[in-house]
Amino acid sequence: MSDPVTVVVVDDHSIFRSGLRADLDAAVQVVGEAGDVDSAVAAVARLRPQVVLLDVHLPGGQGGGGAEVIRRAGPASPDTRFLALSVSDSAEDVVGVIRAGARGYITKGSSGAEVSQAVATVAGGDAVFSPRLAGFVLDAFGTAAGEQAQTDHELDRLSAREREVMRLIARGFSYKEVAAELYISIKTVETHVSAVLRKLQLSSRHELTAWALERRLL
Amino acid sequence: MTSLPIPPQRLPLLRPRDCVVGGVSVALARHLGWSVDSVRWLFVITSLLGGAGVLFYAWLWATVPLEDAGPDASPEAPVRHRVPLRWLGVGVCAVGAVALLLAWDRTGGLLSGLLLALAVALVAVGVFGPWGIRLWHELIAERTKRVREEERAEMAAHLHDSVLQTLALIQNRAGASSEVARIARAQERELRQWLYSGVGTADADLATDLKDYSAALELDYAVRFDVVVVGQSAERSSGELAAASREAMLNAARHAGGEVSVYVEASQAAVDVFVRDRGPGFDPQAVPEDRLGVRESIIGRMRRAGGTAVVRPGAGGTGTEVQLHFEPGRAE
Repeated sequence: MSDPVTVVVVDDHSIFRSGLRADLDAAVQVVGEAGDVDSAVAAVARLRPQVVLLDVHLPGGQGGGGAEVIRRAGPASPDTRFLALSVSDSAEDVVGVIRAGARGYITKGSSGAEVSQAVATVAGGDAVFSPRLAGFVLDAFGTAAGEQAQTDHELDRLSAREREVMRLIARGFSYKEVAAELYISIKTVETHVSAVLRKLQLSSRHELTAWALERRLL
Repeated sequence: MTSLPIPPQRLPLLRPRDCVVGGVSVALARHLGWSVDSVRWLFVITSLLGGAGVLFYAWLWATVPLEDAGPDASPEAPVRHRVPLRWLGVGVCAVGAVALLLAWDRTGGLLSGLLLALAVALVAVGVFGPWGIRLWHELIAERTKRVREEERAEMAAHLHDSVLQTLALIQNRAGASSEVARIARAQERELRQWLYSGVGTADADLATDLKDYSAALELDYAVRFDVVVVGQSAERSSGELAAASREAMLNAARHAGGEVSVYVEASQAAVDVFVRDRGPGFDPQAVPEDRLGVRESIIGRMRRAGGTAVVRPGAGGTGTEVQLHFEPGRAE
């Protein structure tokens, strides 16, 4: 095993931070903690961790929560990758933090082993998709209703394979199970997932914004 | 130390909630320490002096606040007017209109047109005023209710983010069978019940219904549901698809526990529901004929409703996955 992945845990509940810290396995080394936006930005700039475990809802700063931390701390530590950790069910929170640059999203209910695995995946440059995030993606790109946009822009739609992968992840399949189901390698699954993440971050698709706006109104 | 001078006992200027017209006379009398009757007569007399009393009364009515409704009454407890204000208003308008019409008879030219317009306006106010006031009150009540619901939802979301997470963490860390975990679980149950009581509607849409049902199952079984919904459907909680989905979720909670994924994909044409657990798994062929659970309540139900149901081993051979497919348009 190579050196442990350095991690900063950002969450406004200290009980949760210490609990998570105790749950993470040996491949993850927690080098710092922060409880609000400003201290998180400072900690990331100072410690330059490989991964930041980031709560979506955070006090302080300009009220932007986790997304604000990514925007402000990202330039100071360009090699740091962010993994969003949330209990939030709301699409705009999750998609917001992903579009700000997070490499993945997992729920707070995940076990220590799952979080450690996700940290390792993100540190290795791949994306981490929970079933819920996959659901948001399918919703956002309008794939479910068969209303896939007839657009030439490659960023604005998912390929058939990407759609299949997202659908299986939404059904609760692990990457390994997705690979077995579709007769492809895990590496290929990871490639598809990373491509979807890039599209979600870069797409300026009008419908995506409209969809997010609609959700906020609901 | 010097003691503070005792201020003269003067009641604050507040209008009572039970009043004859606007409560202004009573409020003024209490505040000044005069008798109510003398204040009323003062208003009547000054009203005869060019209407000054009426104006003063109206001004006080508009500016003096109401007294509190008491500790156990709701903040917008109704104010009781012993004179029916609505009819008083209608009466004043009618009298005014008649007076103006009489004056119109005696004048001519531009002034008469003006008087007629004024009379018509007064009649309109008299006729539509009460209705407008009621509408206004309903609007206010509606808004108050909505604000309250929003506040409650916000608080529920906040508690969900913080307290419930902490309780879940305590249970995780303490080990499933310990006393601490038991207490944390009991607290979580109480809090959840308080947060989500009376939220569900009688006939919710499919997604909301399955989410509510998963929350209920999480209370009774050692299970965690992850419900993911894509798209929107017109499918209701009273439908057969919802019933079959609930049955599949109950089976997963009862026989498998642990992590259960529920995925709903809805479009105009069809609705798919996947319920996937990671339990010991089960072979539908091996279930004896007399065990009706899956055969009747899921597969049979879906077939009768015009859909399909497949029960198969979960991905990688662990657990079970129930797949339900339903096309609302075709079943009619």
